[in-house]
Amino acid sequence: MQRAWFKYATLFTILLLTLFIFLLIFEIVTHTDSASLFKNFISPEIQFAIRLSLMTSIASTFMCIIIAIPASYALARYQFRGKAIVNTLLDLPMALPPIVAGLGLLLIFGTTTAGTYLADMGLKFVFTPMGIVVAQFAVNISLMLRIVRSTFESINPRYEHVAQTLGCTPFQAFMRTTLPLSKNGVIAGSVITWSRAMGEFGAVLMLAGATRMRTETLPIALYLNISSGELDLAIASATILICISGVALYLFEVKGGLARPY
Amino acid sequence: MIEAKNLFIELGEFEIKNLNLSVKESEYFCILGPTGSGKTILLESIAGIYRPDSGSILINGRDVTSLLPRDRNVSVVYQDFMLFPNMNIRDNIGFGLKYNSSRVLERSAFRDKIRKTAEMLGISHLLDRHPSTLSGGEKQRAAIARAIITEPKLLLLDEPLSALDTGTKDRLRQELLRIHQLKRTTTIHVTHSFEEAFALADRIAIMHSGRIYQIGTPDEVFRKPESTFVADFVGVENLFHGKAIIRDDLSEIKVNGHNIVSSALREGDVAVSIRPEDILISKDPISSGRNSFNGVVSEVIRRKSTVKLVIDTGIPFRVVLTKRTYDDMELCTGADVYLTFKASATHIV
Repeated sequence: MQRAWFKYATLFTILLLTLFIFLLIFEIVTHTDSASLFKNFISPEIQFAIRLSLMTSIASTFMCIIIAIPASYALARYQFRGKAIVNTLLDLPMALPPIVAGLGLLLIFGTTTAGTYLADMGLKFVFTPMGIVVAQFAVNISLMLRIVRSTFESINPRYEHVAQTLGCTPFQAFMRTTLPLSKNGVIAGSVITWSRAMGEFGAVLMLAGATRMRTETLPIALYLNISSGELDLAIASATILICISGVALYLFEVKGGLARPY
Repeated sequence: MIEAKNLFIELGEFEIKNLNLSVKESEYFCILGPTGSGKTILLESIAGIYRPDSGSILINGRDVTSLLPRDRNVSVVYQDFMLFPNMNIRDNIGFGLKYNSSRVLERSAFRDKIRKTAEMLGISHLLDRHPSTLSGGEKQRAAIARAIITEPKLLLLDEPLSALDTGTKDRLRQELLRIHQLKRTTTIHVTHSFEEAFALADRIAIMHSGRIYQIGTPDEVFRKPESTFVADFVGVENLFHGKAIIRDDLSEIKVNGHNIVSSALREGDVAVSIRPEDILISKDPISSGRNSFNGVVSEVIRRKSTVKLVIDTGIPFRVVLTKRTYDDMELCTGADVYLTFKASATHIV
């Protein structure tokens, strides 16, 4: 009797929670009928936001991959002085509120000599689409590092040792053994990074601002339209973001067997 | 010839201190030591995976200390096979022919060489399979094929038989011997099994906590241990070389004038081992045993609950007794005793 009571109490909690999450999504996707939802999807503003979100998120994910692979490899394979401090610093953006990271970026690119120098060279990040890419990168790189690093750590370095004795340079050995063996982990990490980049708001708002039809990604479109009372457009962006999350979660579950981030 | 001179390597918890080693051309050299003695680090340093903190490594007189592994012409076989899981066996074996420009062959010669090497190891039928579908013995054969296809100057084997079951281990040990006789590749084989080293090695180095304690032929190391560590480490087994012939469904092995009988059937040059606890000791001869020898107690080593005796019968036998038995029998150095053991207790290595 005691046991049954406990079992049903826990199961009931699950039921309530599932219902809560379901309602949350259900309310968004059913708020407008499908005809007007479609009309909003093809409106110029949402089309712009989709395009900008896709381009910036793909670019920032690509940057994350390019940086995370060598950096994670060093963290997984080499010992160096100050590694513990480096590790903590690299993990920090994961715990930091994105809006704070965004403020840091704004100060770097807006007020420092290096920032002004870059801007003079034509690399303008403040209130530009390029700033969106940098903001997404800054917020997501930590998680990407973690996933790729744990993948590399799970692969025996002796594969590379064997490959090196068989004629490979250290780089070739990595490209021929550890990297292909890490495929699933890198894909899982990229999918999660990409989906988070699509949804990134705080850091993007700080560095790139929220300018309609200029730095208007899907989450920014949601924010701008809610602020100006255009609920239908806001819901269109939200619906797209929900779909992306679903696809990303599915891909991550399929590919993530090797590399769970937590 | 492979030489290591004044090698110092520190790596995490392991360190190698002022190590000197010289392996002759075409020699089968075993490095024997307990787990954690630094054998693998030494092997990987010779391969070029780790750079020594000081000292040098010479291959045929050429200083290779600062060379990358790919430029040393050495091959490694690990205990856990390390076949690339993302390639089939054919691509695994052919791997070494693809990245070193001096080894790249044209297509037909390339396929031919893979086929020949696979045939030599008896794995031709496995070429299209993936490593995960192979048994331990098959995987290790593939790993050996991958290592020797490049015709290395030096073959490094890191506990190559340790992950295999007993039967497979014996077969693969014969195989290693056969390949060595065929190719005469200088080989360094790291192991913690004295039996393995005894059966394979031309010479043995005993290694412990980053140091080499003794180098010599198996018989030298076994009969004349130069330190208590070596004596303790190798002195637990009775291992002898001899010539075996089969007679009446038994093997008779002639060891230093003694005839030792074994129920294992083998002919030719063999090594036999008798576990110390399988030997019965008595003051009068026992007629029932197949093997019975008269000898003199030459050494008594007391341990916590057992006593180890060395009994010289012309060949030295190690025998282990419980303390109680030892006291009851009133034995001491110089006592005249009889040793008896069954034919089934004589293992042919």
